[in-house]
Amino acid sequence: MKLEEFVNSFADQFELTEKDEISAQTEFKMLDEWDSMIGLSVIGMVFNTYKVKISGEDINNAVTIVDLFELVQSKSEIE
Amino acid sequence: MIDAFSLHNKKILVTGASSGIGKIIAEKLSEKGATLTITGRNELRLRTTLENFNGESHQSLIADLTNSTELLSLAEKTDRLDGVVFCAGIVQYMPVKHLNLSSLDEIFDVNFKSQIALYQQLHSKKKISQHASLVFISSISAVSAVPATLAYATSKAAINSAVRVLASELSKLGVRVNSISPGLIETPLLENTFLNKEVFEKNAVKYPLGPGKCEDVANAVIFLLSDASRWITGTDLIVDGGYMLRQ
Repeated sequence: MKLEEFVNSFADQFELTEKDEISAQTEFKMLDEWDSMIGLSVIGMVFNTYKVKISGEDINNAVTIVDLFELVQSKSEIE
Repeated sequence: MIDAFSLHNKKILVTGASSGIGKIIAEKLSEKGATLTITGRNELRLRTTLENFNGESHQSLIADLTNSTELLSLAEKTDRLDGVVFCAGIVQYMPVKHLNLSSLDEIFDVNFKSQIALYQQLHSKKKISQHASLVFISSISAVSAVPATLAYATSKAAINSAVRVLASELSKLGVRVNSISPGLIETPLLENTFLNKEVFEKNAVKYPLGPGKCEDVANAVIFLLSDASRWITGTDLIVDGGYMLRQ
């Protein structure tokens, strides 16, 4: 599981935000387009791509995309 | 004086009775004198529900309605019924582009297909009395077009359609079939979903009469099960504090 791929898939969930505005260190909840629908899309993307279930609380607790990446990585190693 | 709203001496089956709306409905029905059979998947929670009932002679039968063997066994063990409340349901919030087709199947299996399958078994085993009342718990989601609710909304729309067909088929037996469409009600169904808190805070203002309780739905169920609604069939009763007025 690569960080670059994860960031790219994360960025894909946005419809209006340009990809170059999003990097591993982006504090994603500060992005103008961020809302609960994109949060749900991230949950769906993570499940469909990595077979890992993350919760809304996991997203609430994460600040940057790396935070989520590390969470997904740790969960996929456990499972 | 005969109380047309009484459920005294009526035998009622409630599915999904181990938690949420189903649990409160079952408790309220027992207060109105019904003799209950409750079913659900969680043995411990089902037993807790049973302990809260008024009166004796109620029973609980554990069953996963998506399992055909357990469903068959439930239908066999059930007494002949004067009413059934179809409450079992699950929800998942997901934008359509990420909706996993197997989770769509799961939601349809629980919310729609297993409910219909249960009706079929009850009917074929002659467990539905003449003049019985069947009440399906639907949702205003079926028509309110809230983002990320496709699986749940379409499963409930299927229920609404099934209710009308069933009402039509069963009228010659005097069996009435109706649904209730509640608005958003805080239940364990909504726990663990990302939208829970946000939806509640945003939506509270959309309900002209304020947020609803499980008891509000239970009272509507009592009405549709009782003889007070003897001339009502094939309808969907919206119980939403006025939410749909603003749609």
